[in-house]
Amino acid sequence: MITHHPSDELLTAFTQGELTASLSIAVAAHNELCPVCQEKVEKLNAQHAQMLFDTDNETIDDAGNDIQESELNWMSMIDDITDDDSQSVLVPIDTKSVQLSYDNVQLPRALSNVSLKKWSKLGDVSRARLELEEEPIRSSLLDISPGGVVPLHTHKGFELTLLLDGSFEDDMGSYHAGDFIWLDKSHSHSPRTTDGCLCYAVLDDAMEFKEGFSKLFNPIGSYLY
Amino acid sequence: MINSSHTVQGLDTHGNANTMKDAQNTQQLQQWLIAVANDRDKRAFAQLFSWFAPKILRYGVSHLNSSANAQELLQDTMTNVWKKAHYFNADKGAVTTWVYTIMRNASFDMLRKMQTQREEMLSDDIWPLVEAQTAQEGEYTDHLMQKEIKRYLSLLPDAQQQVIKGVYFQHLSQEELAKQLGIPVGTVKSRLRLALSKLKQKMGGKL
Ligand SMILES: [Zn+2]
Repeated sequence: MITHHPSDELLTAFTQGELTASLSIAVAAHNELCPVCQEKVEKLNAQHAQMLFDTDNETIDDAGNDIQESELNWMSMIDDITDDDSQSVLVPIDTKSVQLSYDNVQLPRALSNVSLKKWSKLGDVSRARLELEEEPIRSSLLDISPGGVVPLHTHKGFELTLLLDGSFEDDMGSYHAGDFIWLDKSHSHSPRTTDGCLCYAVLDDAMEFKEGFSKLFNPIGSYLY
Repeated sequence: MINSSHTVQGLDTHGNANTMKDAQNTQQLQQWLIAVANDRDKRAFAQLFSWFAPKILRYGVSHLNSSANAQELLQDTMTNVWKKAHYFNADKGAVTTWVYTIMRNASFDMLRKMQTQREEMLSDDIWPLVEAQTAQEGEYTDHLMQKEIKRYLSLLPDAQQQVIKGVYFQHLSQEELAKQLGIPVGTVKSRLRLALSKLKQKMGGKL
């Protein structure tokens, strides 16, 4: 059961194309698993479309009068477009699957055309960055191996974790595939997984490890970012 | 980033959705789009174009910061309306919603292209115009076989892959495919023959 969803504010920004690619992918990938948010987004989409296209309250007749004015300007563009009579055909969607420490997992459609950098491993965590070029925002796939723990940390900026596969627990609860977990400075946590999991993570700054001992792990803080 | 000044609208308020004018517009727009899809009706397309163009330009200017970019967005969006009209499904939503999806996607890809060095079009994977399932149901009858063929297919030269995909996965006629690729039907036929024999060879008679 998915219990953590993107906020309505985030869903609204998503439908209006206002989020970065990394966060748009996160919301889209959540929605692939969450019919509730999917339905909300469909409503928001329709509402926003109507707001943009219908607000000036013009009727088709009004628009018809506009035609005569602008028809000359647009005629050539219309001809241009309609000269090519071919229709688009559906190209098979190439969803990727990745070999992880604990299983082979299929990635969401939202990631099918995103390039991944090479996997690298530090402790229990393997990371592959996405090539999205949105610095300082970075997004990665994190493969946490069975029994793996990420040391207790807090965030300088925000941390969004979308659990794509498997499950993990932290001090606040347990999470399952599809859970969309938004954390910021006020939260600290130490995720651990029994059977391994795959997360999609978006951060806008390095993690900061809290406990004295974990300072040793500070390299992992910038590594996970 | 999230715009913090952004106010959250109630999810269930539809504003003036059901005024008579809107209902009439909805119906008229739908008639035009269906005429474009079914009859490749250029007159109906011109009507759609005239109705949407000023609105798309307005959106383009405010999101892409120049009227040149807005023009490009208009051309991009309306080209997709023309080429993808047959995907429109009235049961799934209004024409305005459908065109909005196309416009927002095109604008998103344009913005990314302007801001990064990257060329991928991500928007159609983030906000699919056609649902993945529909695409799969329509395109694939035998998923396993298809998967296997795809693996062998990748071993062929691009031109040969193209004809196999067109004919076997997208169910185009050889004439349609020739038109789409801008090559003579004879070339399609010969490429197909060559590609099939190579594929058979590689698959060891499994095809
Ligand atoms: Zn949800």
